Amino acid sequence: MSSSAPPRTLADQFRSWPDERLVALLEVRPDLAVPAPTDSAQLASRAVVRVSVVRALDLLDRLQLETLLTVIQVGPAPSDVVHSFVNAAPEAVDAALDRLSELALIWGDPETWRPVTVVAELLGLPPGPPAREIDAALADLDDRARTILDHLDETDAAGTVANATWPVRITDASTPTEVLLAHRLLVPRDERHVVVPWSVRLRLRGGRSTRERIDAVPGLAVGDRAQDLVDRGAAGAAYELIRRTEMLLETWATRPPGGLRTGGLGVRDLRAAAELIHADLPTAALIIETATAAGLLALGMNDELDSAWLPTDSYDVWAGRSGAERWLTLAKAWQENPRLVSAIGSRDGDKPINALSPGLERTWLAADRQTALTALLDLAPGQALAAGTGIASLVERLRWRFPRRPAGRFELVGPHLDEAALVGITGLSGVSSFGRALLTGDDPVPVLDALLPTPIDHVLIQADLTAVAPGPLEQEFGRQLSLLADVESRGGATVYRFTVDSVRRAFDSGWSVVEVKDFLASSSRTPVPQALDYLVDDVSRRFGTLRLGVAESFLRSDDETALTELMHLSAGALRLRRIAPTVIVSDVPLQVLLPKLRELGAAPVVEAADGTVRVAKPEEFRARTPRPRPGTGRDNARLAARTSAVVAAVRAGDRAAASRPSRGPARTPADVMTALREAAASGDEVWISYLDNHGTSTERIVRPREVGGGQLTAYDERSDEVRTFAVHRINEVRTSGADE
Amino acid sequence: MNDGPLIVQSDKTLLLEVDHERAAEARRAIAPFAELERSPEHIHTYRLTPLGLWNARAAGHDAEQVIDALLAHSRYAVPHSLLVDIAETMDRYGRLRLEKHPIHGLVLISADHAVFTEVTRSKKLAGMLGELLDPDTIAVHPSQRGNLKQALLKLGWPAEDFAGYVDGEAHQIDLVEDGWNLRDYQKQAAESFWHGGSGVVVLPCGAGKTIVGAAAMAHAKATTLILVTNTVSARQWKHELLKRTSLTEDEIGEYSGARKEIRPVTIATYQVLTHKRNGVHPHLELLDARDWGLIVYDEVHLLPAPVFRMSADLQARRRIGLTATLIREDGREGDVFSLIGPKRYDAPWKDIEAQGWIAPADCVEVRVTLPDGERLAYATAEPEERYRLASCTFSKSRVAEQLVRQHQGEPTLVIGQYLDQLDELGEHLGAPVIKGETSVKEREELFNAFREGEIDLLVVSKVANFSIDLPEAAVAIQVSGSFGSRQEEAQRLGRLLRPKADGKTARFYTIVARDTVDADFAQNRQRFLAEQGYAYRIVDSDDLPIKD
Repeated sequence: MSSSAPPRTLADQFRSWPDERLVALLEVRPDLAVPAPTDSAQLASRAVVRVSVVRALDLLDRLQLETLLTVIQVGPAPSDVVHSFVNAAPEAVDAALDRLSELALIWGDPETWRPVTVVAELLGLPPGPPAREIDAALADLDDRARTILDHLDETDAAGTVANATWPVRITDASTPTEVLLAHRLLVPRDERHVVVPWSVRLRLRGGRSTRERIDAVPGLAVGDRAQDLVDRGAAGAAYELIRRTEMLLETWATRPPGGLRTGGLGVRDLRAAAELIHADLPTAALIIETATAAGLLALGMNDELDSAWLPTDSYDVWAGRSGAERWLTLAKAWQENPRLVSAIGSRDGDKPINALSPGLERTWLAADRQTALTALLDLAPGQALAAGTGIASLVERLRWRFPRRPAGRFELVGPHLDEAALVGITGLSGVSSFGRALLTGDDPVPVLDALLPTPIDHVLIQADLTAVAPGPLEQEFGRQLSLLADVESRGGATVYRFTVDSVRRAFDSGWSVVEVKDFLASSSRTPVPQALDYLVDDVSRRFGTLRLGVAESFLRSDDETALTELMHLSAGALRLRRIAPTVIVSDVPLQVLLPKLRELGAAPVVEAADGTVRVAKPEEFRARTPRPRPGTGRDNARLAARTSAVVAAVRAGDRAAASRPSRGPARTPADVMTALREAAASGDEVWISYLDNHGTSTERIVRPREVGGGQLTAYDERSDEVRTFAVHRINEVRTSGADE
Repeated sequence: MNDGPLIVQSDKTLLLEVDHERAAEARRAIAPFAELERSPEHIHTYRLTPLGLWNARAAGHDAEQVIDALLAHSRYAVPHSLLVDIAETMDRYGRLRLEKHPIHGLVLISADHAVFTEVTRSKKLAGMLGELLDPDTIAVHPSQRGNLKQALLKLGWPAEDFAGYVDGEAHQIDLVEDGWNLRDYQKQAAESFWHGGSGVVVLPCGAGKTIVGAAAMAHAKATTLILVTNTVSARQWKHELLKRTSLTEDEIGEYSGARKEIRPVTIATYQVLTHKRNGVHPHLELLDARDWGLIVYDEVHLLPAPVFRMSADLQARRRIGLTATLIREDGREGDVFSLIGPKRYDAPWKDIEAQGWIAPADCVEVRVTLPDGERLAYATAEPEERYRLASCTFSKSRVAEQLVRQHQGEPTLVIGQYLDQLDELGEHLGAPVIKGETSVKEREELFNAFREGEIDLLVVSKVANFSIDLPEAAVAIQVSGSFGSRQEEAQRLGRLLRPKADGKTARFYTIVARDTVDADFAQNRQRFLAEQGYAYRIVDSDDLPIKD
């Protein structure tokens, strides 16, 4: 802060600030920098716009908010006066004042702090009656009135009444509320609401703005939990997240669920997904939403050109990465996802809320979630939120930190933590070491890699025709194995079962007996059991004994008995005709014939026109990766570069303005706004030229009070009243110092 | 990552790596609450089921122990949701208790009012409950004790039964250990049962379940009703009881189709109990004929449905169930749990085998090819005829004869389903055939002769499947079986698993016709046996004889 005379206006103060301080302001209130303001005057006028101020207020904690309220009520005031009203240590209040000044919610210096006007309108309380009247009035109250007053005071709430502004005299007052209004212990805020005025509040709270001290941050209820247990639990969750995502998307690649007309995923598909991945519905919804947020799943077209949810081409890239990298993608997507996933499955009116349906975005959600997670970082390694009271204490702390946040949003803290546990950022209510790395901006990948099971490239094949992979399989190996065997059980390990059908499936997709046997021998740590060898041989012996044509549908086989058998079984239904000892034809289309034959236990192969065997592999579908949403990534480096550029521009504008010989009248709309805002902040009179409803130009001297919503509210000297002017009708503004 | 031998899967199966150095420790830790489902050579699969967890609760284990065991031995992190699920499931057992009230008789008591309200309002319990005695106690009609337990289990709130038992009419029964001793596990099994009140003892075939039954009777020292599957088995029980206990001929009665004796110890067949004439069960009065102090159910997994219904009325009497497997083909494991009682003792088959009480078996599948003529007949046959055609192929008979010759001198059983085939085989081999129409007397004589070593070859049909002790059979040749049921397989193998005097490996041959439905059934059998941990080989009939 400059050592020279106290600043006259907020703009003046900005001019006196060092660059770092302006940069800091633009970083915490980025909306001020877009588009770049031309000079300090414009920056100052933008800083007092209601929308922007409301945003800045949401950043305050309880202490800062009470300090601000005190400055509004008693300001302009020096620091020590503020100290005497805020129930906190003076140093803490000083820190709060500094912060408020940094945010440009107050300005001035420790000798005189002033609130920016719009803040006073947003938060200010009516002053209330003088102290001695209060005492008399309080003594006069009956119990019912006193209860109402105490209740409103304790909850800091506004009371709703039928008609607040109706003037009441003490003698006429019939209801307790009327008594309170008549005594001015309650003061109308507007027609329907009454509030406890400032002086009454001070009286009720023992001379301070709050009863309790507000400089202590509420502590978290913690318990001890060994960090390695936390890490193991969280790594288990992280692994499950990756595995389930992969399993679901692999399945949806071949059998995609349809997209609803409204864009979401049907309840039945969600249920099927939950069953597939052995999870409950909320978990399944979280996995689906997170995969979508990560760009791994999107709407595309299935082979019938219907809209369907499909893995994207980035899924392939993702699937090829290491476990920890895959987790990082999902965890980040979850962190930044603005969608209220916990609402899925509940009802909006009588309509169920579907997964992936539009309309679940909440602008505040990602930030709220982030603040809850950041608060958890205060848990030391080896600590966890205490069972039962832990979440409540976290909510209490967040309430202190964000007193202006609507109460309903604190109810989501529980769901946020549940989701964090499913993602693996927390485990057993403690923060995992890789989760901590993610939240503090370090690289969680090496930490997590050490905790995840390492992919293996072998299985144990057993005589009951199962193969057990005692850990996650390398991707390509896993795919090959699932072609040859059916998955029976999943989890940390995977159990595969070889059956006639599964082995035939491998033959169907072009494997030969030798390939199958080589694959088994090379992938099993244990000798391949004799029974499996027999199974493969059995299938291969029968595989291809029947050959089936397309055009007229023919069946041929060197095995005459097999054909006789077939003729006997199905001659009627399949309209088979035997044309030679080894050949049968049919006029049933191939697509119908093939499954029927398989049903009958035959293992035919389809033959192409040139006599070669056609192989069938299920087609996999991919959708295009959606472009990332702009603005979701908080790219600090870019922001920093931008804000310092903005500051440089503001400085240049200031120099230009300073080097102008003198201030001319404001004629452009931007200048008009700036001039009016400056005048409103400083309380100076201005001369305006104004075009009235009839198109007549009039000139007035006014004292602006507020500029906002396209309206100027100002005290008009000529009519001696406060009135409003449409800003777009003001074509010129001159301040007292301006000349032609 | 913890280097444990156990992997917990999200579908509630547990995989145990057998060759891991800590496998034995982990097995002991999880055995009380997880059911062994498969035990092939490398990785054993256990399953967590509500019944298994409740069995563990009944045996005094709590959720904390179960979760500790999983966490301590698991190689990877255990899914959190699974742990929560275990705790919740186990917590459900014992919220409700059946007790004896000094004034009101049988009552249902709950420590949890919400659960109590839920179940008392349930329509499924209508008519079983009496008046409400206080907010958490309700009278129960004494006749509904069993039905109520069944219904509560279905509702997911199994009740613990503390209502006690009637002592029954006292009758002195002692074990007479002359020249033999109760094995450790048999003793443990009988004691676990006695302390638990009622329940099921699971022991593999050949492990001496009859002796466990006798030991239980010696604990009860009261009149006993023994329910068995058939008459031969009833005689077997009588024989065994005379040999092992202080009971005399006069004290043991047989209540079957042939004889209707009611004595202090009465052995009845399920068949006679469930026999129905003009819509009523005329032999039900047996259950009330005496003041029984103990009821023994042999082969609980075969207990017919009507006996379940009757057992519901016998809840005031001590009950012991004996079986080789809790798995029932009809899925009524829950009824066994609520009407007979929780599992009181279980010893893994392989462990007892390792102790040397059961001879290990070597399973061989011999594949025969149908000759062309038969193949054509098979191909054109109606589906219902096919199995018989495949089973009775001439080539099977030839292979069976070849095997019999190979094992000449060793006690051998040839087992089959089709009488024509069995008769033909009997004729060719010059061996006696036992089938349904063979009289009980004749059967017993033949079995005796086989046991004594007078004859070393028997051809038997399905009737020989259950509960007949053939101690010295070293070789079994199965030429056809009834559609590859798991249970039948266990029985057949059980025949061979009796301890051999010379400790020799028993051999179990199945002859299978290649490329027929027979082979498909063989696939099931192979899977079951491999899952039970038996060595299983396949050979071609052309490659016979195989070397040992």
